[in-house]
Amino acid sequence: MALLRRVKDKIKKIVARGTRKHKTPASAAGKARVAKAARPGHAQEAKKETIGIRETVIEKTKFSHPEAERSRRIMVEELPGSYGKDRIVLQVRDPWWLHSYWEITAGTLEGIKGRLGDRFWGAKKIVRVYDVSNINFDGNNAHRFFDVDVGDATNWYIDAGGPGRSWCADIGLLLGNGEFITIARSNTVSTPLDGPSWITDEEWMIPEEMFARLYGMGFGFGRSSPVGKAWQERMKRELFSGVLASPGITSVSSPAKALPRARKFWLVVNTELIVYGATEPDAKVTVQGKEITLRPDGTFSLRFALPDGKQVIPVHATSNDGIDERTITPIVTKETR
Amino acid sequence: MNKGYLCLVLHSHLPFVRHPEHEDFLEEDWLYEAITETYIPLILVFEKLLNDKVDFRITMSLTPTLISMLQDSLLQERYLKHINKLIELSHKEVERTRWQPEFQNLAQMYLVRFYEARNTFERYGRNLVTAFKGFQDAGKVEIVTCGATHGYFPLMDASKPSVRAQVRVAAAHYQQAFGRKPRGIWLPECGYYPGDDEILKESGIKFFFTDAHGILHGSPRPKYGVFAPVYCKSGVACFARDLESSKQVWSSVEGYPGDYDYREFYRDIGFDLDYDYIHPYIHPDGIRINTGIKYYRISGNDEKRPYDPYRAREKAAEHAGNFMFNRERQVEYLYELMQKKPIIVSPYDAELFGHWWYEGPMWLEFLMRKIYFDQKAIRMITPSEYLAENPRNQVVTPSMSSWGWKGYSEMWLQGTNDWVYRHLHTASERMTELVKTFPHPPSELCRRALNQALRELLLAQSSDWAFILGTGTHVGYAVKRTKDHLLRFTTLYEQVKHNSIDESWLSGIENTDNIFPDIDYRVHQ
Repeated sequence: MALLRRVKDKIKKIVARGTRKHKTPASAAGKARVAKAARPGHAQEAKKETIGIRETVIEKTKFSHPEAERSRRIMVEELPGSYGKDRIVLQVRDPWWLHSYWEITAGTLEGIKGRLGDRFWGAKKIVRVYDVSNINFDGNNAHRFFDVDVGDATNWYIDAGGPGRSWCADIGLLLGNGEFITIARSNTVSTPLDGPSWITDEEWMIPEEMFARLYGMGFGFGRSSPVGKAWQERMKRELFSGVLASPGITSVSSPAKALPRARKFWLVVNTELIVYGATEPDAKVTVQGKEITLRPDGTFSLRFALPDGKQVIPVHATSNDGIDERTITPIVTKETR
Repeated sequence: MNKGYLCLVLHSHLPFVRHPEHEDFLEEDWLYEAITETYIPLILVFEKLLNDKVDFRITMSLTPTLISMLQDSLLQERYLKHINKLIELSHKEVERTRWQPEFQNLAQMYLVRFYEARNTFERYGRNLVTAFKGFQDAGKVEIVTCGATHGYFPLMDASKPSVRAQVRVAAAHYQQAFGRKPRGIWLPECGYYPGDDEILKESGIKFFFTDAHGILHGSPRPKYGVFAPVYCKSGVACFARDLESSKQVWSSVEGYPGDYDYREFYRDIGFDLDYDYIHPYIHPDGIRINTGIKYYRISGNDEKRPYDPYRAREKAAEHAGNFMFNRERQVEYLYELMQKKPIIVSPYDAELFGHWWYEGPMWLEFLMRKIYFDQKAIRMITPSEYLAENPRNQVVTPSMSSWGWKGYSEMWLQGTNDWVYRHLHTASERMTELVKTFPHPPSELCRRALNQALRELLLAQSSDWAFILGTGTHVGYAVKRTKDHLLRFTTLYEQVKHNSIDESWLSGIENTDNIFPDIDYRVHQ
């Protein structure tokens, strides 16, 4: 009846795991994990490719199915770079900026080229942005318009610079003689105001001073907010700085502030002790007086975080019938310099 | 007599992440972690308050994607597996930390909490939605809906039928889960675009929320600022966020969760412990992940100190008292100024509570108890109750706004994610085209394909993908999800148009993207 014993001191070193990626707010995340492996057939970028429809005739069905002629398998495997339709779309990013994307089909361009002849070659691709606030836009009655020379781009961020206005845009060609040929016209959008409305209604009239106070409080600047330009500036700065922005999926991004690190190099060292051994599978074993569970083959293994100082670890085994007993007591001292 | 109202709102949302095709999928952990750390702790808080007859009110949004996942049997099964592994790990931790009592106490604490989580999960038949339904039926919690898949409405101006589908599918889904129609909605990302209220009205929705500038920059000028709701011309009410109370909880600079006594989120044993030891509890590919077992408090700038649950608890109570005190003063001041009882609307991401701010649920419990027992100035209220008591409100058209970075749409519309809209808008137009072509589906198979097409479109529209592309983490997954759903949609579109629907493939994606089983594609118009 041998009591196999071995006590092994295993000093674990955890060294330089590189900078802690999950510390920065941008990579955010308690879970700075990389989605990887196990994701078959996934390309990072939308490949520019015209309609990618693969049609496959499934041979088998030809013989087993009465409608075999029809059963071509349509499977779209890549997003198209274009959809074969002239169009332009406007979206509002914020009170000052619009975003636009567009598509001009090759056929349309060819058509125009045919019509214009040589004049086509001097033409520039232009997004013409119209201020259509409070009107029914008919193509000619805009308050004003401005042109953006977009070259070969297919989308553009446009500095409209006019909060609280309505906008419409054309994609088209500007000829050398100043003539503009519209290819497609966008939806109409409205930019929001970047401050309080100047419109008040009689029934819900409010004194300027009181509104200023409520306005400041609504933005969280307390009851003693000074009323004035400096205060308004400060308010906007804080409001739109992202301090109070929703972090979205909180698992993915952190609302907490990242601690700035002066330099990135660092080191952590911890120690653990593994106590392992074996006895008769039906024996009773205690470690430091606490009973442990043996594996079916009578072996055991315990793992302890090892702090500085002396650990006395009596391992006591008693045979199933209670007759035999053995005690082995490793003593481990750890110090850190 | 109270002098004003406090309306706490917790927005609970996770994108639909369910991958039956993989045994173990990293992003599914978002749900499991939120269940253990946020949803169950909140449920336990509400249970205790009910038990102690504390009359509390809170408004919660549960998004249709989150509800669908909580009700899904595969994910329920996987959650049990997940929590069982955590219990196993905690047992090992209790043993491992035997010579470090300050850590062993914490290991014990986690062990108890994980058992408690499992018990709670089983107690509600693995379906936590029933727990929230119970609190709503008891009149304490008002549950509002959200866009079906959390699509960001201000960037759907070119696809209004999709906004309508997002709202109608959500309302129908809510009805199934809670046995009545939703009265309110949390607009995804708090994103309001003028006119969207008309679409809400069609589904019988009575109110929604905007960020502060949604009302403050609305027209005409709002007489009471953000401290009273306004009606849109459609008659739907709009409540705006109060930033003072938001800041106290939320601000990364001065918010409560950054207190040194609170638990540090970033020190997780999934990253801290020896690789061989922790390996069975992290991702099978060996990627270190958060386990949820964290032993340190935030501490000062020096070394991280072990977490002390008693100190943290004291601090949570103190912070709850401070929050209440500030609301009392705020309400008293506003009452004088307005000559009317103000309503303070304080919305937060639910996952902030418990997951990020470990002591958050505890803070909430202290706050609700204190408000009930210790003061008279404020009364907790839900938007429905407020509107019933205060039916007369100013008519204002709110301003386009969101509660995202910079207050508008830039988070979801920047160089890294603007490419998605060309495809999303085209898919939406195609969906409308299909609905027009097939007002009545010619066959059962075609009906299934059309319904699945709408599911895929909605899933592609989740604001989460654009958000993730904007933040730059998990980008691969967000690109994959956007493309997968768009490609499935486009394939269905082509198959339906060419009358060559591949039934076995259709069955496959019906099984994978099994959200909204009762969807009717004709809501997209």
